[in-house]
Amino acid sequence: MTTTNSLPDTGAPRATAPEPAVVVQDLHQKYGDFEVVKGISFEIRPGELFGLLGTNGAGKTTTIETLEGFRRPSSGSVRVFGRDPYGNPPGVRERVNAVLQGSGLMEDLTVQETVTLARDLASTPRTCEETLELVGLTEKTKTYVRQLSGGQKRRLDLGLALLTRPEVIYLDEPTTGMDAEGRIDTWRIIQQLKDEGTAVLLTTHYLEEAERLADRLAIMHRGRVGVEGSLQQVLAGWGDRIGFTLPADVPTSDLPRLEGAELEVENGDRQLRATYTVKDGDVEERAHHTVAALLTWAGEHGTLLRNLQVRGASLEDVFLQVADGAADFMSD
Amino acid sequence: MSATTAPAPPTRPRVSPLKQTLRLTRTEITLFARYKTAWMYLALPLFFAFLSMQFPSDPVVAGLGVGELMMLSMTGVISLIIGLGHASNVFTARRESLVLKRLRVSGVPGVALFGGVIGVVFTFSLLLAAVVIGLVMAMPEGGFPRDPVMLVTAILLGSIVFSLMGVAVTPLVRNAEMAQMAAMVPMMVLLFASGGILPLEFLPETARTIVGLLPALPAGELVQAAYSGYDVFGGPEGATEQSVLGLWGAALPSLAVLVGWIAVLSLVVARFFRWDPRQG
Repeated sequence: MTTTNSLPDTGAPRATAPEPAVVVQDLHQKYGDFEVVKGISFEIRPGELFGLLGTNGAGKTTTIETLEGFRRPSSGSVRVFGRDPYGNPPGVRERVNAVLQGSGLMEDLTVQETVTLARDLASTPRTCEETLELVGLTEKTKTYVRQLSGGQKRRLDLGLALLTRPEVIYLDEPTTGMDAEGRIDTWRIIQQLKDEGTAVLLTTHYLEEAERLADRLAIMHRGRVGVEGSLQQVLAGWGDRIGFTLPADVPTSDLPRLEGAELEVENGDRQLRATYTVKDGDVEERAHHTVAALLTWAGEHGTLLRNLQVRGASLEDVFLQVADGAADFMSD
Repeated sequence: MSATTAPAPPTRPRVSPLKQTLRLTRTEITLFARYKTAWMYLALPLFFAFLSMQFPSDPVVAGLGVGELMMLSMTGVISLIIGLGHASNVFTARRESLVLKRLRVSGVPGVALFGGVIGVVFTFSLLLAAVVIGLVMAMPEGGFPRDPVMLVTAILLGSIVFSLMGVAVTPLVRNAEMAQMAAMVPMMVLLFASGGILPLEFLPETARTIVGLLPALPAGELVQAAYSGYDVFGGPEGATEQSVLGLWGAALPSLAVLVGWIAVLSLVVARFFRWDPRQG
């Protein structure tokens, strides 16, 4: 996969309006009596990447399948370019593409035949050479798809989705099965798509991927969105954590109560550990104020805060908390 | 980027579904050739046609014996074997491996995908028909088909009916192996009802009328009529030679049965076909 090649100007018309390309409003999806998606809403604007994260079975793929036009909503609505995408009607289908969670390639065709077929079926496609170079499969043109590795098939999936120059692209775990190099190259391509104004919906189990690429994200759990917002908003809601080993001569009750911080004392390995979680106040400054207050308190009491740690939230922390069922708490 | 003006929605040139159908047909032919088990569907009609040659050759109509008439009936239902067998098999396999879903999300309409498989069934049915008709032409009383247009029309309509029937089987099964088994039942019933492997003259009139409402018999009779120029619809007994117009007039009920089946099967496919293995 090339690392220097940039995506050339597609020549295809781009939505320049600030209106969202994708709008999902209070979407519910049921399989029989079982409700898989329980009222989710989001929008994706041109040039924006919306990350849809969640545990297995959270309803991510069902949501994407609704946007792809394979399912009608049980209730609520989805709109792509202002239209109902059910059945992938003309006017929508030329402008949208996707990388599915599974591969979906014809194993008995060669790479070249696969790309040529996709090109001949498309409205304003890239050339085969450009597509194969983008995803680093130029050397594999004569190889049968069934002989490709899992990662190479994933690259071909991505290539086929890029080939039609989509203005909206749904990427359902696009880097699963790729090696580290393939993943980094894919991230670069996705970033370039965003720069060109493509609206991207990404689901992934690699949180680093979402942290790098998502402008906004939602974490789903059991059909509901637990947390939604920009990465900064999501992390800010989780809070900063300041922890230290409780000095042996200090009873728990003597620990200071600090404004905007919650205290929790846990039984560690033969010692107690105190953790202050700071959620209030300026995101950039709140950890500093809490640490300063704690150091002042320690100085006044002539004690030492051993194993002092200050930790901002990672997406993984938030994800795990949502997955643990604390969604209601997190969305406050 | 302007925040104040909303430009007219961008449009893309649309690719005609016919062009997509023809392009998919090309790939379907390549895949059919590479997919070795598909060749079985080509061998089967030839095998049945060969068996028909063992039947008596005493002339029944237009100098053609029972054997030749059966071979012509078989020509009408070559697409039954290929359509039901191959279409059900590959569409189930492709649904399960997400090939259909990927093609749909990349903007290919369903009608082009169905058209592609009808295209390959029609192509190979026509090729095999040429072989079987060639055999009949090589018989002592053989000659060039009297109405080649009706012959091709019969094969085309049969290809559409039986491919759609194959596609209609796919929602009932979970994998390609099950699809082959599920398709075998209607395939055998319709083969016996076609007059291609057993003469249907032994059937009582009412039974023959009912069998005539199934698509196999009309497809076979259209080929017999197209080849012989006789109005063999309803049985060769008493059939007379017809003008081109007279033959098409006599063919109307059979054509109507096939078109009716296409309409019904299209509705069934539109309503029940699943693109996605997860669709319930």
